[in-house]
Amino acid sequence: MLDFSRTWLPFIYLYGVGGIAFLIGTILIIKTNALNLSSQSHKNWFIILLFGFIYYAGIHATFILIALRG
Amino acid sequence: MEISAGTGIDRIVILVYFALVMGFGAYFGRYSKSTSDYFFGGRRFSWWLITISIVATGIGSHSFVKYSTKAYQYGFSSTMTYMNDWFFMPLFMFGWLPIIYYTKVRSIPEYFEKRFNKTARYLATTMTLLYMIGYIAIQLLTLATALYRIYNIPLMATVIIIAIATTIYMHFGGQTSVIFTDLFQGLILLFAGLLLFVLGLQYIGEGQFSTGLSSFWSYLTPEEKLPLAHFNSPPNFNFVGIFWQDGIAGSIGFLFLNQGLIMRFMAAKNVNEGRKAAAFNVLLILPISAIVVSNAGWIGRAIANGMPGILPAGLQPNDVFVAVTNIVASPGVFGFIIAALCAALMSTADTLVNASSAIVVNDIYRPLMKKEQSEKKQLEVARYASIGIKVIGVLLVPFFNSFESIYEAHGWFHSTFTPPLVVAVFLGIFWKRFTTPAVIATFTVGAFLMILGQFKHELIAPFSHGIELRPGKGYSYIGALYNIFVCASVGVIVSLLTKPPSKDKVDGLTVYDVSKLKASFKGGKVNDAKGKTVIVDWEISDIGDDSIRFSKNDMLKMKAEVGDLVYLCDNRKWLGGLKSIHSVYGEPHDTDGVVMITKNQQQSGLFDQNRKLFGEKEM
Repeated sequence: MLDFSRTWLPFIYLYGVGGIAFLIGTILIIKTNALNLSSQSHKNWFIILLFGFIYYAGIHATFILIALRG
Repeated sequence: MEISAGTGIDRIVILVYFALVMGFGAYFGRYSKSTSDYFFGGRRFSWWLITISIVATGIGSHSFVKYSTKAYQYGFSSTMTYMNDWFFMPLFMFGWLPIIYYTKVRSIPEYFEKRFNKTARYLATTMTLLYMIGYIAIQLLTLATALYRIYNIPLMATVIIIAIATTIYMHFGGQTSVIFTDLFQGLILLFAGLLLFVLGLQYIGEGQFSTGLSSFWSYLTPEEKLPLAHFNSPPNFNFVGIFWQDGIAGSIGFLFLNQGLIMRFMAAKNVNEGRKAAAFNVLLILPISAIVVSNAGWIGRAIANGMPGILPAGLQPNDVFVAVTNIVASPGVFGFIIAALCAALMSTADTLVNASSAIVVNDIYRPLMKKEQSEKKQLEVARYASIGIKVIGVLLVPFFNSFESIYEAHGWFHSTFTPPLVVAVFLGIFWKRFTTPAVIATFTVGAFLMILGQFKHELIAPFSHGIELRPGKGYSYIGALYNIFVCASVGVIVSLLTKPPSKDKVDGLTVYDVSKLKASFKGGKVNDAKGKTVIVDWEISDIGDDSIRFSKNDMLKMKAEVGDLVYLCDNRKWLGGLKSIHSVYGEPHDTDGVVMITKNQQQSGLFDQNRKLFGEKEM
């Protein structure tokens, strides 16, 4: 049986600490208007940024689940 | 274990490959007419070209050996370092990328002078050059280690031969050569790596791919299928240490400080193309690259688990790449895959050499020369600098060869040179209060505290996350967290104790001013009205300035006004912007479907007779 620190703990740490960095970065570029959400092109980029985060979290979570099923 | 030296066919394939790449690079050398072309490719390329050339830069020759080794030992968790780069993309795409593009800095050290002062620039120049030249030496060493077994030429002689071969096309070509040879080599790399995976699966399935795939999966243990390593053990491969060393320090270092990568993005035709290249690279190409560099190790592990006796019992993990390739590939194909290893070296080394020579010219030569030097003279200096850098790289090879492994040499390198630069550039961009004395202290006091941590392991212990201390070796990856912490602490404390920089001093150099940078790049009000592109014929019309002239109707279609910036490019999209120029709109004429350009612009854009161009408004 694989223990928690071999399976989900790295995942939680990766997307917890990494997620904080991602969140701070996203808030900073919105607050400074570097990412201007009133522009359609920037809105699309904002969606791509969020998608990228979920995409990687999804890949890692899927592989962990598949590995645990043997 | 002695590794097979390959066959005569393999040696010929490798030699043909070298000749092909040198010819390719020398051909594209004719597109470098100025230092802007030499270093930045004239800021004209499409996102897809930048993306593929970044692949070749990101995968070094050490990658195949290093990641196959970890894949053989630990399974799919070898992919961790390729799958943790998204966290800093918001700050890179909307913070750093527009700053470097619109402020037109030619190098990272130049940014340090603009943001701080000359001393900061010199310190950054020294650290960046040391980092890059050392990296070149490691690349040369890795490939020579593989090739000298095949050709039975002494290691150092192999290093010198490789250095000469890569210098030839670099010397004449510059960034345009680098981008196009890297496009070619990036495709070769991806193809060869995936081919090896397919051959490996076929081998496991005794000729049947689908059987091989299911057997491969069943031979791996659940632990080997996990995508992330154990949280904090073993000390030489654990999740949390690698997260701080690679996911944080490495990602920031690669995205924000790698001069070679920065120059790639500056070769993009505009900031949006740079963003597309970055997003496509991280979302699609990096996961594929993770498979490309690791799969030999996975195949080796599956064979070792499920087909005992095929791999030698005493196989060293470091040898798994060559051993597996030898087993699954036939003569000629083995040579082709080793040629891909050459592709990895040449494409990474050429980028680093080009980037280093950019720093020599921009941060040492130009500031030292009192008078402005001609473009020809600067190009000459850049070309000889690239030779000098290769020579120093070759001389450093014996030093890196003295480390226990290339992996260790690489790790030492990253942990020593990256953290102060990472902290300095990061605080510089995202914290207006960060002062000049603070950046100097980050480089000096921070570096001193880092060195102290190498000897006094108890300083790193509070950051260890439970990772075991290895006697005589200390903490490995998690040292990056300590290094970042001490450098950042020094930077923050000194900033708070010193006078804040004036508003003028940091104007346009932090993320807070990104929205204003487009106007300052253009030199006037930005015209963001969305227009169409137009397809036109070109005619020469020397009107005495550098503007280009479209018809009134064509300008209406593009929603352009006189003085706006325009991009004019050969209509063959597959050229990726190779034949193109940037300019400004001049006074319109009355002939629709025709653009008037000067002789100089035609030569600079290498526009062909009877070939249509497309024009689009930039801003």
